Amino acid sequence: MGATAIRTQGLTKRYGNVAALDHLDLEVTQGEVVGYLGPNGAGKTTTIRLLLGLINPTEGRGEIFGLNCWRQPVQAHGRLAFVAGEANLWPSLTGGETLRLLGRVQGRVDEAYRDELVARFELDPAKKVRAYSKGNRQKVILIAALMTRADLLVLDEPTSGLDPLMEQAFRGSIREARDRGQTVFLSSHIMSEVEALCDRVAILREGKLVEMGTLAQMRHLSALTVEATFEGPVPDLSGVPGVSSVQVDGRVVRCQVRGPVAPLLKVLANADVTELLSREPSLEELFLAQYGGGQDQGVQHAAR
Amino acid sequence: MLHAEHAAWAPGHPAARSPVAIVRLTARKAVRSGAIWGYIFGLAIASSAVSYTRLYKTPAQRDALAAAYGSDKATSALFGPAPQLQTVAGFTVFKISMTLIILGAVWGLLTSTRLLRGEEDNGRWELLLAGQYTRAGAAAQALGGLGAGVFTLWAITGLLTVLTGLDSAVSIGAGPALYFALAMVATAVMFLAVGALTSQVAATRRQAASYAAWFLGASYAVRLIADAGLGLHGLIWASPLGWVEELRPLTAPQPAALVPVAAFTAVLAAATVRLAGTRDVGAGLVPDRASRRSQLRLLGGPAGLAVRLVRPAVIGWWVAIAISALLFGLIARSAGGTISGSSVQQVFAKLGAQGSGAEAVLGVCFLILAVLVAFTAAGQLTAARSEESAGRLDHLLARPVSRWRWLGSRLLVAVVVLLASGVVAGVFGWAGAASQHAGVSFTAMVEAGVNLTPPAITISGIGVLAFGVRPRVTSAVVYALLAWSLLVLIVGSIGSTSHWILDTSVFHQMGSAPATSPHWAADGVMAAIGVAAALIGGIAFNRRDLQAE
Repeated sequence: MGATAIRTQGLTKRYGNVAALDHLDLEVTQGEVVGYLGPNGAGKTTTIRLLLGLINPTEGRGEIFGLNCWRQPVQAHGRLAFVAGEANLWPSLTGGETLRLLGRVQGRVDEAYRDELVARFELDPAKKVRAYSKGNRQKVILIAALMTRADLLVLDEPTSGLDPLMEQAFRGSIREARDRGQTVFLSSHIMSEVEALCDRVAILREGKLVEMGTLAQMRHLSALTVEATFEGPVPDLSGVPGVSSVQVDGRVVRCQVRGPVAPLLKVLANADVTELLSREPSLEELFLAQYGGGQDQGVQHAAR
Repeated sequence: MLHAEHAAWAPGHPAARSPVAIVRLTARKAVRSGAIWGYIFGLAIASSAVSYTRLYKTPAQRDALAAAYGSDKATSALFGPAPQLQTVAGFTVFKISMTLIILGAVWGLLTSTRLLRGEEDNGRWELLLAGQYTRAGAAAQALGGLGAGVFTLWAITGLLTVLTGLDSAVSIGAGPALYFALAMVATAVMFLAVGALTSQVAATRRQAASYAAWFLGASYAVRLIADAGLGLHGLIWASPLGWVEELRPLTAPQPAALVPVAAFTAVLAAATVRLAGTRDVGAGLVPDRASRRSQLRLLGGPAGLAVRLVRPAVIGWWVAIAISALLFGLIARSAGGTISGSSVQQVFAKLGAQGSGAEAVLGVCFLILAVLVAFTAAGQLTAARSEESAGRLDHLLARPVSRWRWLGSRLLVAVVVLLASGVVAGVFGWAGAASQHAGVSFTAMVEAGVNLTPPAITISGIGVLAFGVRPRVTSAVVYALLAWSLLVLIVGSIGSTSHWILDTSVFHQMGSAPATSPHWAADGVMAAIGVAAALIGGIAFNRRDLQAE
């Protein structure tokens, strides 16, 4: 275990009676890549703005490498780089000028790496920000953050507007950062991105942390989807311990299993099974389970 | 914002598309602004008329005033001709009309560029065009909304003028009062159209506003030459401001001058609709260069960035200040000659300009420059707030830049800009005056220039206070303070007004150098108020949440 990169204790932000973030306890260890998930309005951006000291917590505290986010922002920011979800940059500056400015303000830039990133993301630095598309503006702030090689990368939906090729370039860059020992805090709602990059995942719902763990841990807690096809009559699975959401479709049965699968296997062994499929839930299913995506009510019940 | 369309899309109204949704959307913003400025126009007219009746009670006083100002070419060049100064009506026209004509034009060009090109810049226009509106149709609708705004401006100005006219001492009929109000908003109408057209030509709001502002400057200059008694009076018909002057409200009404006003507006409106229909949305006729060589100077930190960001606007203000100061300098000697020993001296004395001759004239003219310098300050504050509201400040403050460093850099740049503005005013004023052998010293003029900055510093400081405590009202506070101070300056120059009210104007305490020596002590107090307000504002800013919009 390395040092702690991010720690929050009871971090809370209220606007009037509405808690945008409600007693968040979070710890991110140095070198980890942590995904931060939640639907729009769950409090992801509020968390990040609190961590950056842009807004003042109503209660609790946040720390970056042991530095208080609100009271010691300048010192804390010396060790992190931030990518905002919306690249509102200065329209009259060119991409190159923006990179120069943000690099100078940050105080350290790996210039060779910057040039490599500009090539990798295919950015034309001579263009004015005004003339860039949304994706190209996003590239500017991504490069500005990555080129600093900061100890901690705080990314707030960093790939909005990027095409699939650039999304791959982004993933490559994050893996490089991880391999160099940089910590990454990635807020996103692109599940495949989080699944591909993150060691641990935190799920936020209405300002509260509802899940935190590795993907394996979260899968363990959740249901397994089992689909069986029978030659003969379909057995009744509804009473089997751990089984829920049974759906019968002709001779095919689909159900969810939580906990040990042995009771289900016993029942199936006694029936005439011709095909048996089981798979772990994807992160998307885990996420939808938390929010009741509507597509798969069974998973929702099982997870609860 | 899109209520109108939402209503149209609601179940039960399948085909009820509102044909005028953009008219309403634009009108909502334009009418609010038109109403506020209507009150300001109306109050300015009322205060001007009423104070004349108090200050010049006897026919002898009025004749003296008319004798002094009535035929003076220099004041005529600056403020327009001054016939019938023996009457309330004539004096009111002379006193207030040039100010309102220019304010109306500035209101018009800023309002239309904001509601046309500004909406396009921030992408909202595309949302509307994605509905069932054509590009030309949407532009025509927006013009309709702007029309509602300027109608409100006229209606409120007219109402207040009619009410003022009911005063037995003022005694102006309703018809002439409404015609006067119409003349006062005629430039607003024309420059709404100018701004609408430049919004089609330019690729950004700032560019559109600056094209329109240059056109306004040229119109004023042509009018000035026409009225300067150089035998070129025919030129008056070459300037939109000249047409308004030729309307001659309250003195010798000439409604025929409405023809060029209406024709000009109609042609520009038609051109706007036509261009909007043919060009690409988001682009202008003058292409904004998409690429250029990066210029890496001044990008080392917040101070350098502030310089880069404010540079275009500041250069514009400096040019405006330099040209105005030069003109004031050029007319100072001849104007000074005519006022010596006249009752105009009393008027000037009320503005703080003691003595006579060129220096007294310059002392009054420099008050106008003080207003320009204050506008420069207000612009800087608004620009700083927009860095936060647009979310750009996040990119700096999420890096190792403290809030104090950012705010301090912006303010430092602002103060240097203001001092430089003062020096520009002094140097160009001196150059103009010296070319006419007006006998004013270079040092005195530069001092007079520097003397212009304390009011601007006070406005900046109070602006920072608003920015720290209630950021969303920053712009409203600085411009309201500026407008109020200007109003008190105008009223205070004529009538006897309570010194409590006079003291609320940031322009009241400054000495009218070069007519008197600058009141350095008062200047110091004003600057200190500004600095104290800025400090409190800075502390509040350091403690509050960043607020984007």
